[in-house]
Amino acid sequence: MSAARTASWEVRSFALASGVILAGFLLVLLYLAQTTALSAAGYEVQRLTAQRDEVRRQNALLQIESARLDSPARIEADAVRLGLVRAATIRVVASEAVAAQH
Amino acid sequence: MTATVSHARLRTLFALFAVATLVLSARLAYWQTVGRGELLGRATDQVRSDQGLEAQRGVIRDRAGAILATTVELRSLYAIPGQMTDLDKSDLRGRVAAAIAPILGENPDTLRAAFESGAEWLFVRRRLSEETANRIAALRLPGLGFELEPKRLYPNGTIGAQVLGFVNDDGAGQYGVEGRYDDLLRGKAGRLVVERDPSNRELAVGLRTATPAVNGQDLGLTIDLAIQTAAERALAAAVQGEKAAGGSVVVLDPRDGAILALASNPSYDPGRVAAATPEALRDRAISWTYEPGSTMKAITVAAAIDKGVVTPRTSYNDVGYAVIGGRVLSNALGRAYGPTTVQQVLERSQNAGAVFVASKLGAPDLYSYLRAFGFGERTGVDLASETGGSVRPLAQWYPVDLGTIAFGQGLAVTPLQLAAAYAAIANGGTLYRPFVVASRRDADGEHRTAPEPLRRVVSEQTAATLRAMLTSTVDQGIANAASLKGYSVAGKTGTAQIPSEDGRYVDDAYISSFAGMVPAEDPRMVVVVVLERPQSKLSGTVPAMGAFRAIAGDALRYARVQPDRP
Repeated sequence: MSAARTASWEVRSFALASGVILAGFLLVLLYLAQTTALSAAGYEVQRLTAQRDEVRRQNALLQIESARLDSPARIEADAVRLGLVRAATIRVVASEAVAAQH
Repeated sequence: MTATVSHARLRTLFALFAVATLVLSARLAYWQTVGRGELLGRATDQVRSDQGLEAQRGVIRDRAGAILATTVELRSLYAIPGQMTDLDKSDLRGRVAAAIAPILGENPDTLRAAFESGAEWLFVRRRLSEETANRIAALRLPGLGFELEPKRLYPNGTIGAQVLGFVNDDGAGQYGVEGRYDDLLRGKAGRLVVERDPSNRELAVGLRTATPAVNGQDLGLTIDLAIQTAAERALAAAVQGEKAAGGSVVVLDPRDGAILALASNPSYDPGRVAAATPEALRDRAISWTYEPGSTMKAITVAAAIDKGVVTPRTSYNDVGYAVIGGRVLSNALGRAYGPTTVQQVLERSQNAGAVFVASKLGAPDLYSYLRAFGFGERTGVDLASETGGSVRPLAQWYPVDLGTIAFGQGLAVTPLQLAAAYAAIANGGTLYRPFVVASRRDADGEHRTAPEPLRRVVSEQTAATLRAMLTSTVDQGIANAASLKGYSVAGKTGTAQIPSEDGRYVDDAYISSFAGMVPAEDPRMVVVVVLERPQSKLSGTVPAMGAFRAIAGDALRYARVQPDRP
C-alpha cells in the first residue's frame, strides 16, 4: 500500500514537473514566435515604406515631366518647329448677342 | 599523509575559487551598477542610428495651379573603389570607368584616375537624371551605388526666373519668391533615432524616437504662366530686335494689385544659376530704377486735375519751350505747337505743356501727389530685393525741378512703381500694394492673401478723366502704335535720358517705355514695358509699344476678355 502511494506520488510529481517544463517551453516558444513575427512585420513595414517613398518620388518626377510638357514656351517652340503660325484674326462672339438669341 | 596533503590542496583550490568568484562577482556588480550606463551606451551606439529628417521644400504654383518650382529627390552616383573587384578579386576600376564614362559624357581616364586616387568613397556625379541613373543601375557594376539627394526643379526653364528666384547649394532661397518666402518654403527638419540591424534595416522592436519633419508650405502665385510666357517672349524679341541693354515688363491686375507677369531681360535659368551673370540675376522690374520720362506726365496731369487747377480743356500758348527757375526746358525737337489744351499735352507729349501744368499745380502739391502715388518708397511687393526709387525731399528741390519732374526727369522709379501708379488711375483712384503670393497651403489648409488697398490717390472722376485722356493719346496721339484691334487702350509713351556718374546725361542714349491699360473702359490689366538703350534711340517707344500690343493681345485673348470695340 505504502509502495503504491509512493509510486503514485512520484508519478504525480513527474507529471507536474513535466507540465511546468512544457508550459515554460511553450511560453518561451510563444514569445520567440511573437518576437520573430514582429521583427518580420517590421522588415515588411520598412520594405513597404521604401516602396511607398519610391512610388511618391516617381510620382513627383512624373508631375515635373507633365509640367514641363504643359509649359506654354515648350508648346510654342514645338508649334513653330511643326510650321504652325499664329492665327491672323480671332473671331469673338459677343456674349450679349448670344444671350439675346435665347 | 596523503589525506592531509589532499585536504590542504583542496582548501587552497577552494580559496582560489572563492577569491576568483568574489572578484568576478565584484566586477559583475560594478558593470551592473556603476558601469551600466557606459556599457549600455556602447551597446546602443553599435545599433542606434541618429539621423536628421529633411523637410520637403514647398511647391510654387501659378494662379492656375501649374507647377513653377518643386523639389524632387534625384539619385547621386557614388563609388567605393575598393569594392570594384570580381569574384577572383581582380581589379575592375578600369572596366567600371569605361562602362559608365559614355553614359555620363565623361572621359574614362578621368574617372579611372578618380577611382585610383586613393579615396575610399567618392561621388561620381550628383543628382542624375532618371534616365541616366537607370542606365547605370542596369549595368549592375560592383563598387557603385546611389544615394538620394533633393534638387529644386523649375519645369518651365527660364520662364518666371526673376519672380521665382532660386535655391542655392545650401538649400537657402535667394531672390524672388524663393528668397522672400524662404522661411515658409523650407519647413522644419525633424530627427529620427532608431535601432538598426547589421544590414542597416530598422528594428521593429527597439528604441524609436522620432520628431517628424514639418514640410514647407506650398505657395500659389498671382502669376499667370501663359501671360508670363507672352511677356517674356515679347520682351526678349524687343530687346533682341533693338539690341537693347535690357528691359522689363510688368503686367498688373489694377482691380486688386495682383501681379500677373513680371519679366526682366537679361534673365537666367534658375536650375543653372552658376552660369548666370550678376546683371541677369537682377530683377529690373523691382531692383532697378530709371528716370521715367514722359510716362510721368500722366501723373502730373492727374494731380493737377484732381487738385482742380486745370481741366482737359485748359489751354496755353506753346512756343516750343518753357522757362522755369532760369532754365529753358524744350519740347522734343524744339517744336512749337501754338494754342494747346492739356488734353493735347498728353496726346503730343509736350514737355513745355507739362511744365505749364506743373506750374499751375505748384511744387508742394506735385511732391505730395508723387508720394501719394507711391514714388520714392518701396511698393511693399512680397519679393526680395525691391528698391524704392528716388524722389528728393521737397526742401532739396531747385526751382527747375518742378518743371523737369513734371515730365519725368530728376526722379527715379522702378517699373513696378509706375505700373502700380497707373493701376490707381485704371481702377478709379485707389493705390494697391502689388503682390505675387495669392495663397499658401499648410497642414491647416489654404490661406488666401487679401488685396491691400493702401490709399485713395485721386478721385474716381479724376481717374475716369485721365483714362479718357490717355485713350485719346493712343487713338489720336503719339501712342497710336499701341492701339489694339477690338479693344480700347489708354496709355502713354516715355523717353528719358540716362543720368551718368558725373550728374550729366549720357549722350544719345535713352530709356524708352510705354505704360498702358486695357480695355480702357474697364481696365483688366496694366502693362508697363521698359527698354534700356534701344537702338532706335528717340524712336525706341515704337518697339516698346509693339511689345505692349503683343503682350496685351495675348493676355486679353487668354483671359477671354470681351472686345469693347468693333
